Amino acid sequence: MIPVDIVASVSLVYFGLLFAVAFYADRREKVGRSITNNANLYSLSLAVYCTSWTFYGSIGRAATNGIDFITIYLGPTLIAFSWWFLLRKIVRISKEQNIGSIADFISSRYGKSAFLGAIVTLFAVLGIMPYIALQLKAVARTFDLLADPLVGTTASLHHLPNIDFQFDTAFAVAVCLSLFGILFGARHLDSSERHSGLVAAIALESVVKIVAFVAAGLFITYGMFDGFSDIFESFVTRFPDRTDLLLLGSGDNEYTHWFTLIFISMMAVMFLPRQFHIMVVENSSEEHIRRAMWSFPAYMFLLNLFVIPIALAGLLMANGDTHNADFYILTLPLQSGHEWLALLVFLGGFSASAGMVMVSSVALSTMILNHILMPVILKLQTGERDLSRRLLYLKRLFIVVVIFLGYLYFRLLGESAALVNIGLISFVASTQFAPAVIGGLYWRRATFKGAATGLILGFIAWFYTLLLPSFVEAGWLSQSILDEGLFGWKFLMPKALFGLTGFDTWSHALFWTMFFNVGCYISVSLLTRPKAAEREQIAKFVDVYHKGKTPLQRSRITKAPTIMEFVNMMTKFIGEKQAHAAISRFIGNKEIDNKGSLSEQELIKLKRFTELTLAGSVGAAPARIIIDNYLSARGSRMESVFDVFGTVNISRNASREQLSVLYDAAHAVASGGTLKEILDEILKIFTDQFKFDLCVIRILDEDRQTLTVRSQRGMSSRHFGESERNLTMDTFIGETFLTNKITVVNDTDDIGKPESARIIHEHRIASFAHAPIAVEGETIGVLSSFSRASKGVFTHEFIELFTNLASQVGVAWRNSQQTERLITLREHQREMEIAKNIQLGLLPKRVPEIPGLEMAGICVPAKDVGGDYYDYLHHDDGRLDVVIADVSGHNVGAALLMAETRTFIQSRSAFLGSPLNIIKSLNHFFYEDLSQAELFITMFYLQYRPENGQARYASAGHSPPLLWRSQDETLLRLDSEGLIIGVHREFPYEQNEVILQSGDCLLLYTDGLLEAETHDGDFFGEDRLVELIKSSCDRSPQEMIDYIFEQVRLFTGQHSFQDDVSMVVMKVKEVEQSTEK
Amino acid sequence: MGIRNNKPLREAWVIFFFLGVVMLNFPFLHIFNKETPVFGIPLLVIYLMVGWPLSILVVYIFSIYLGKETDDKYISTEPPPDEETP
Repeated sequence: MIPVDIVASVSLVYFGLLFAVAFYADRREKVGRSITNNANLYSLSLAVYCTSWTFYGSIGRAATNGIDFITIYLGPTLIAFSWWFLLRKIVRISKEQNIGSIADFISSRYGKSAFLGAIVTLFAVLGIMPYIALQLKAVARTFDLLADPLVGTTASLHHLPNIDFQFDTAFAVAVCLSLFGILFGARHLDSSERHSGLVAAIALESVVKIVAFVAAGLFITYGMFDGFSDIFESFVTRFPDRTDLLLLGSGDNEYTHWFTLIFISMMAVMFLPRQFHIMVVENSSEEHIRRAMWSFPAYMFLLNLFVIPIALAGLLMANGDTHNADFYILTLPLQSGHEWLALLVFLGGFSASAGMVMVSSVALSTMILNHILMPVILKLQTGERDLSRRLLYLKRLFIVVVIFLGYLYFRLLGESAALVNIGLISFVASTQFAPAVIGGLYWRRATFKGAATGLILGFIAWFYTLLLPSFVEAGWLSQSILDEGLFGWKFLMPKALFGLTGFDTWSHALFWTMFFNVGCYISVSLLTRPKAAEREQIAKFVDVYHKGKTPLQRSRITKAPTIMEFVNMMTKFIGEKQAHAAISRFIGNKEIDNKGSLSEQELIKLKRFTELTLAGSVGAAPARIIIDNYLSARGSRMESVFDVFGTVNISRNASREQLSVLYDAAHAVASGGTLKEILDEILKIFTDQFKFDLCVIRILDEDRQTLTVRSQRGMSSRHFGESERNLTMDTFIGETFLTNKITVVNDTDDIGKPESARIIHEHRIASFAHAPIAVEGETIGVLSSFSRASKGVFTHEFIELFTNLASQVGVAWRNSQQTERLITLREHQREMEIAKNIQLGLLPKRVPEIPGLEMAGICVPAKDVGGDYYDYLHHDDGRLDVVIADVSGHNVGAALLMAETRTFIQSRSAFLGSPLNIIKSLNHFFYEDLSQAELFITMFYLQYRPENGQARYASAGHSPPLLWRSQDETLLRLDSEGLIIGVHREFPYEQNEVILQSGDCLLLYTDGLLEAETHDGDFFGEDRLVELIKSSCDRSPQEMIDYIFEQVRLFTGQHSFQDDVSMVVMKVKEVEQSTEK
Repeated sequence: MGIRNNKPLREAWVIFFFLGVVMLNFPFLHIFNKETPVFGIPLLVIYLMVGWPLSILVVYIFSIYLGKETDDKYISTEPPPDEETP
């Protein structure tokens, strides 16, 4: 026996050491130089799996049941081989989702369901509480073995004589562990954050565990005996009838039992809440898993190396008495007087217990807070600004509550049989989480309903087949339930459910729990469909390694909260300091617009970030509820932006739909309909594809400077869709037009431009966009679309499409404009053609036949109609009037004046007599018309009397005709003073006279002839004309004209002339020659 | 560094895992479920106590190979995580 004060002091000192190590590790973590970010420490901390139940219990089980104890370690060894793909995936997901517990993991996978989180927590607490009691019991028992307890009490009461202090070991341990948990397991609210101190303490405890065990093993094997063979041989010799301990039973069911234990320990090492906490939540690097895959099994192997020798040695030393078999490892050194070794073993066992209680209490308190209490708190909706302190205290309180519930359990049932098998019962309980977790990792079809049904039924089966019998064995319930079944129904016997007999308790329970759990999980999952929120999570879990596969969730928040509102929301649950740290981590160097808010996409990210941050502290399901509640309370909501596309998967299909819309629109543009038809068709295509309430095309009316509606589709309103818009910056449409920039309003709740806002709100428009319709850079109209149903319709992709569509409208408009112009042109051309024909008809069709005179005339208008005019008037008295005139301009006006002139001359020349009179009266008559029309006429009028060759002439500013006298080869210019007609009403025109002689050749022309121009700007000029006359005067008048034209065209190098060109050639026949003929 | 990138490796882990499960269950276990002492220790105990560390050794060797694989990948994609912060 060791004096109680020594045992107590050593325990206290050891506790102090644990606190110091934890404190040191926390300090190092704080300054960013973590000592627990280490693969070896990670492997060691995983050894929290080895509790006192295994530390002492393995030996006890080996001494009583035989070799099957080893399955508890073989299972974890095997599953560890799968960690590189199984555990790593869980860790990756948990880190990305800020997952803080196994309840959080399961709830998160199945759509962040608060319900699943709650039931997992409930079952975990139910399954683990007795396990904690078991640890406290082990500490108390071993303490009693080292130092005799006070007699007469059931609890392990001890008295410290020096300070006259009486204590209950289990209670004292519970207090210390509570303190430790509070200090190192609940320092912050953020449970997904690592607890460096806790991990360091666990790792130290694992070292103490293995050192103590191996030391005791070596001492017993090599100190008390002569090695392994010696122990085995001694045992076989001493207890030949107990050799079954070294063998498995021969029946098939023995192997089933073996397999069952391997299987449940495989699951337990992964899904016991404390294991999940240490393995996943406290993991700092996926790389550590690679080391743990072999070093954790190696640790367990080392720990088990001496289990059989110690058990056999214990049996040998205790003469086969298995009453205290659990504690052979402690009693053997003690009995042989090695008290220091016994003390070390005690510390090892104490470490095993303490480690389990520490981690379990932290893991369970987090689960209780986040999954049981949090939903209630959120229901109550406290208006408090900062709940975080309160939550942290609650978390600490729950650590104490969990540990003391374990203590209470121990005190109430301490010695009862209910505790004997509690370790394995807990294992089977944690196995119930396996289908939901592993299925959730790989099976896409797994749904919330499947997981919930499986879990609930699995736990009911677990309770009925394992916990209920243990209650019966503890004497709480009547034995009749076990023997005759519930309500006396034989098929409900807990250990032979539905008549299944022949199996051991564990295999029987495992079969039924898995039958119900896995069966329901699979079948219900197959029968149900995951909801949208769940689908999002499925992708994040199953496809965690394939980010690209995760469907692009595009959504927006209506009435989005500001950054500060998000911060306040976080502050409430995680505290101001943490919230501010988190937000500055998020914002980093993100762009913030001038209103101090983030872009829509960034806000969505902020919302997710806030949810993740909160999830780290309060769990995924409460975080989702918090955000949802908050958003709905302020009237915001999340909405998918795709419903406008009528499909969920935007990224792939949008482009196809865009293309189809644009293709159809282009097709419509090319269809050759009228502009109205095309515009209507484009809007039809557009509204058919996208659910808009109104689409309008407005085009600028240039005369009135307003945007008039050219096409409209959707709801009808006199004030809204059908009205014109002025070109002002006061309306969105006006602004779009004037700035030639697209206007997009995704949320009409907050818009400027009061006039527009009034109309928009009146018609309950949720979002709208205006795109300028531009043709070659010039805005000609605006394409608008309005949506009542959804805000945030106009995504980036959509705006692109919208702009494209606007330019299609522009193309349609331009096409139609061009067509119109062509039509106008063609009509104009036809008119001009007619005018030309009429005008040409006004020119003399034939040359009058006058003896002794040859004549020819031509008029080549530069454009379709011209202002040149010439005529011959053969009067009854035999005289011949020849007139040539040039009305300025080449348009219809000129042609009309020319026609008028012709009418005047033809009607008046007969009685007006002399050319002078005619020009005078013409001037008088036309003065008004001409000056009004700003036109003028030059004219040369010649009156020829064939009988004497006398030619009287008058000119009104016309180019003087050229008279070539072939007899004496002289050239005469028929000059006559006179102002162009239409300048002065009265002007003293002159009349001159010349006698045309035989062989004379007179050329009358308009100035278009002399002004015929080369490219270089040289005029044809009079000199060249004179030369031409000289050289061609022997030809006939028509030949002369042809020749002159030919030469002029050669000179200019062009076929047509810039100005009208008219010529009249008069040639007096040479009498002699004609007589000769 | 997706799992699917090193599919052969992943399959090797599945093989190890299932091989282990098979070797430590019926009927393999049945072969060694004998009292026959080897060096004075029953065959079953020897089988388990030797087979167990051997399987750990295999996984150890393999994890070193895995380390090389992933280290190579880290070089091309991201810096290796600090295993031991100084």
